[in-house]
Amino acid sequence: MNAHRVLAITRRLLAQFRRDRRTLALLFVAPLLMLTLFYFLLRGGGGQAAMGVVNLDQGPLGAAVADQLLHSAAVDAAKMDAATAESRMRDGTLAGYVVLPASLTASAAQGSLRPEIHLEGTQPGPSAAIVQATGQAVIGGIGTLAGAAGVRPPQFAPAVTYLYGGPDLDTLDYFGGAFVGLVVFFLVFVITCVSFLRERSQGTLERVMASPLRRPEIVVGYMLAFTILALVQALEVLIFSLAVLHIHNAGSVLLIFGIEALLALVAVNLGIFLSTFARTEFQAVQFIPIVVVPQVLLSGVVVPVSAEPGWLQVISNVLPLTYAVNALRDVMLRGADLTWSSVQLDMAVVLAFGLAAVIAAAATLRRQVA
Amino acid sequence: MDELAVEVEGVVKRFGALRALDGVDLRVRRGEVYGLLGPNGSGKTTLIRCLVGLVRPDAGSVTVLGRRMPDLGVLGRVGYMTQAPALYPDLSVAENLRFFATISGARPSIDEALRFVDLEERRDSVVATLSGGMRTRASLACALVHRPELLLLDEPTVGVDPQLRAQLWDRFRAMTADGTSIIVSSHVMDEAERCDRLGLIRLGHLLAEGTAAELRQRAGSDQLEDAFLKLAAEEPGA
Repeated sequence: MNAHRVLAITRRLLAQFRRDRRTLALLFVAPLLMLTLFYFLLRGGGGQAAMGVVNLDQGPLGAAVADQLLHSAAVDAAKMDAATAESRMRDGTLAGYVVLPASLTASAAQGSLRPEIHLEGTQPGPSAAIVQATGQAVIGGIGTLAGAAGVRPPQFAPAVTYLYGGPDLDTLDYFGGAFVGLVVFFLVFVITCVSFLRERSQGTLERVMASPLRRPEIVVGYMLAFTILALVQALEVLIFSLAVLHIHNAGSVLLIFGIEALLALVAVNLGIFLSTFARTEFQAVQFIPIVVVPQVLLSGVVVPVSAEPGWLQVISNVLPLTYAVNALRDVMLRGADLTWSSVQLDMAVVLAFGLAAVIAAAATLRRQVA
Repeated sequence: MDELAVEVEGVVKRFGALRALDGVDLRVRRGEVYGLLGPNGSGKTTLIRCLVGLVRPDAGSVTVLGRRMPDLGVLGRVGYMTQAPALYPDLSVAENLRFFATISGARPSIDEALRFVDLEERRDSVVATLSGGMRTRASLACALVHRPELLLLDEPTVGVDPQLRAQLWDRFRAMTADGTSIIVSSHVMDEAERCDRLGLIRLGHLLAEGTAAELRQRAGSDQLEDAFLKLAAEEPGA
């Protein structure tokens, strides 16, 4: 392998990128945009389920339960009559409403509580929030009444300890580690795959193949250039996630960067390898639903691998992103370091995928044009 | 030193049912300009690609600068200009030249190559901003920037104005005086007249070979174009 020739390819690619503003934007602006969107979707704070409270009970329990609901942080509740609640649920402004029947206080005395919950029903999230908030309001309402009557209500105050994370850990913190890996993997894969294809379609690959360059030199030259770009991107994503979005991190930043670097190695070489199976950029883009989307769905980014059906877990366990996501979550959420055998295993598997992709990329690159 | 720059013996290349090269024998001497003449689809490009290892023959042998192909090492001594300009559009002309010289393992002679194709003033222009003819010239410069001993030119003067074309041919001549061999494919007859020897190729066969004068005489014709048509008609498969 000749270092001059390898570096000639690397330098050339970096010079090309310097002039290609659109691709640079995709590499360095798109991840920030994606992460910011994730941030507002998961931590934006808006959007509790809107619900109506129809209190027909003249007794104290109805008023107490209604009061609890109106002050609940889990739902956005408003008092109204049944007809208004029904019509607003039908026009889509309410996700549901609860009717506290006239007999609520009386029947509670006989040991039966039957509030009616009417749900719009198409959105599982808001529906569950309304059912849960109503349950809590009823318990809370009984508590306040018991206190007012001089009866000392039982206090429910569990002592909670956290092995990892803590009470402030939220959905973005959980997804954050996976997103950091996913964003790098996705963009680097697409750009490598398409760049390599462009070399083929603009005819320069034919010229390059008619030179003394060896195939591994081409692959390594490409790998170096894209790995440099991927590392800069990974660093940017990491700084943005930790310093700007304040995604929870209990581990070493350097280790997170190391995992991202391994993932970039896989993405670059997978991109080169798969580009040999496409003839045009259009065909290369078709790899996204085949290669990227299944990894996003099956690597534990969205649903934990352990929650998948057994046969799907088999597929998840042969995807590189699964191991990278696992390692990133271990480090960022659990504070794992390199002494953890799970992190060692995950990183070793990602590295092995990377090396296999390098070999596959060099092996499938053909010198012959026909 | 072997006096042949290229030796092709019995080369056959099939693409499915099509025999793109059907038993071609070809010898090109060092310092010679050899013209491959033939209509579109006759096998000129396939033959040139065989010489640089981009097409692997199904039968026969190819020897380039004394080395039996495929041989990566010898490719550093060969310059190849593809039919369509093969350049990186977002790099400057000089950056393209430097890249192709480096991968050929040579110290780049960028200024010399740019002078050869009259493109010194556009040295730092990004290729995407060049006209079609300028791109053809830049592509030619990339093929000779590493001072190859054998230059393979696949229709090199398409889109180049007549004045510059004449100039380029004078410079090709000067290169052969230094011992460089040139194989040039073309279907432009006035270019063919400038070659030392010509090979008429049709349907993957080398129909006839010789100087332009010899071919005209053989066909009993004043015009090379007529000679080519007559010789093609004599071919049994025609």
